[in-house]
Amino acid sequence: MALHRLSFRLRQTATYVRSLHTSGCGQQQAAVAVESESETFSVCRAQENDPACQSEKHLGQYYTLPSAHVRTLFPHGLPWRYQQQVKTFNEACMMVRSPALEVISCLKKTDTSKPAVRYLFYGLKGSGKTISLCHAVHFCYTQGWLVLHIPDAHIWVKNCKELLPSSYNTSRFDQPLQATEWLRNFKVTNEHFLSKIKTKQRYVWTKRESTEEGSALGELVDQGITRVKSSSDVVGAVMKELRLQSGQPESNFRLAVAVDGVNALWGRSTIKKEDKSAVDPEELTLVYNLKKLMKNDWTGGAIITTLSQTGSLYTSKSAYLPHELLGEKGFDKMDPFIPVSVPNYSEKEFESCYLYYMDRHWLQHPQSHTEEGKKELVFLSNRNPSMLERICGSL
Amino acid sequence: MASHTCKTFLSLGRINVPGLGLQKTASRAAYATGLPVNTSAGNKGLPDRSGRGSSVRKPKRDVGEPRTKKMPVDQDWTAVYPAATPFRQDSIPLPVRMGYPVKGGVPPEKKGNLELIKIPNFLHLTPAAIKKHCEALKPMCTEWPSTLDTDAKCDEHFPIKAESTDYVSAGPSVRNPSARIVHLKVKLSSLNLDEHARKKMLKLVGERYSKDTDILTITTDSCPLRQQNYDYAMYLLTVLYHESWKTEAWEAEKTVADMEEYSWEDSPSQRNILDVLVRMKVVGEGEGQDVREQLLGRKEVQEYKDSVTRLKNEGESEDAMLQYKEAVKKVFNL
Repeated sequence: MALHRLSFRLRQTATYVRSLHTSGCGQQQAAVAVESESETFSVCRAQENDPACQSEKHLGQYYTLPSAHVRTLFPHGLPWRYQQQVKTFNEACMMVRSPALEVISCLKKTDTSKPAVRYLFYGLKGSGKTISLCHAVHFCYTQGWLVLHIPDAHIWVKNCKELLPSSYNTSRFDQPLQATEWLRNFKVTNEHFLSKIKTKQRYVWTKRESTEEGSALGELVDQGITRVKSSSDVVGAVMKELRLQSGQPESNFRLAVAVDGVNALWGRSTIKKEDKSAVDPEELTLVYNLKKLMKNDWTGGAIITTLSQTGSLYTSKSAYLPHELLGEKGFDKMDPFIPVSVPNYSEKEFESCYLYYMDRHWLQHPQSHTEEGKKELVFLSNRNPSMLERICGSL
Repeated sequence: MASHTCKTFLSLGRINVPGLGLQKTASRAAYATGLPVNTSAGNKGLPDRSGRGSSVRKPKRDVGEPRTKKMPVDQDWTAVYPAATPFRQDSIPLPVRMGYPVKGGVPPEKKGNLELIKIPNFLHLTPAAIKKHCEALKPMCTEWPSTLDTDAKCDEHFPIKAESTDYVSAGPSVRNPSARIVHLKVKLSSLNLDEHARKKMLKLVGERYSKDTDILTITTDSCPLRQQNYDYAMYLLTVLYHESWKTEAWEAEKTVADMEEYSWEDSPSQRNILDVLVRMKVVGEGEGQDVREQLLGRKEVQEYKDSVTRLKNEGESEDAMLQYKEAVKKVFNL
């Protein structure tokens, strides 16, 4: 054991000696070394940080999201593991990949007078659908659109701690906790829009409280956050207002609706009523209003969604195609939509990810720096982004 | 040369046999006869009766040579075992051994082996015997019709095939209850069915139809005799055929969920796409019906229709999704 340690130390000193030699031998060599480093630096990083200006030549490269954007745009939107990564690396970097670029190019060409086009990201588990959605949402944000982001529709159909019968319609059920949570995050994302948009209708909450016509959207949202009981109806009202107003000639905003795990709206729920019978997602106010938004009868924006098997209930683990996860009803409601497949990393993308982790000094294991190690990583993860991230996390 | 060697082997065998026989008898005596043979002691115990005892006993006949020694190699085996008889160790020139081996030894030989006698043997059914049986049966058979030389012709003239199994076993009884099962196989393409009749037949028959081979298999085993089962199967086939041609009043209530394949007309998909196109104002304002006709006639809509039908009927796959994506993009002009 001691011998081993000795040899390791000797090896280390040997490498140090070698590097000293090279630096001593000539500045040229050092310059070459620095240049090759900066080359690798640029190979995995894009110089272009604005999603609007990214194109095919940036494919496979990482671009940095400004931290101010991350704080406002994604208070709840990023996946948990990615949030941890952002905290560890002190920067939020996303890879530019073709599915997101495709959707962004279509979004650039959207016509505000036409009905909203629906995009659906689908793919194997862990292939990067949520990150692609966040990429597209970042683009919308930088273009000044109003972003309505539901990070995971599955949390609205399961693990509900409080279920109230709806005050507006007695056959439906309210979920005040989730509604207030969402309203808070919505407020953080769209601060500057809240004062500009005015309500077109009068909303009566209780005998004493009502929101008048023409008041700012911000007031409506505050009403929902403070009065927890009516928060689900406030969410419905907000969605209705935005739907009616976007695309109208007098409104100057475009609406981007981003839903992750859209198959939850047409699936089953685990919430039970008092008599232990299951609640149909239709009967939940939040889900009901969101479904109305999913219909493309409004103009002036786009609907970007992803399928997610991870949180979904009563679906098999290997299901990833739209029909399997959405079901017949969901497919008919979403039809016609543009399905965008999100595959595992290609060779180039894998290289780029590997270089990024090396650059961030995330791979500490000595063998991971070798070619053999890289081949092992390819084999173990099958170039699946989330698997690769998990494996590298333990190295 | 060969015959010479055989003869020498035989002679060797003959020479060896007495020696082996002696050894055999000796070894036999070693384990078979565990009980002490004290005939002399018995005799001594009864001196009064022994006066005539030894002479009254019948003289033992000599055992004689086993038949195997006299068998030529090219003999007619069917004469040795013409019918089903138990194992006779002297008639079978094979050094067969059977049974649990002695400790440190081999399974016991065939001489006096009860195990070999207990089991059923098929020595009376060797290929030579079967040939003789076939030759005997041939005058009673009729010839296969010469025009039915291919499988296709057989299917064409005899579309219904009835299959049943006969079982042969050696036991107390020749009957086997599994012999009553009858499988009736028909190809649906050979039956005269129109669209409605075919769909109804498939729904009536359910699991018994195989889509890959287009064969309907009716299996009957409810009656005790094979002939009864065959008649029942033919009756079922007749009833299915006639019922599927009839149309009942309640068949008009067939819902979308009952349909076997997806038809795009009047589906939510068609309504959606027309809705979207109308709102996009792709075609100029006009009457509702005209606009519909115009929209349906467009190439992109036809392509969209093909891709949706393909997705729903064939199930999902990557390239079906790609086709659908291209069609939707064209409709939206992206």
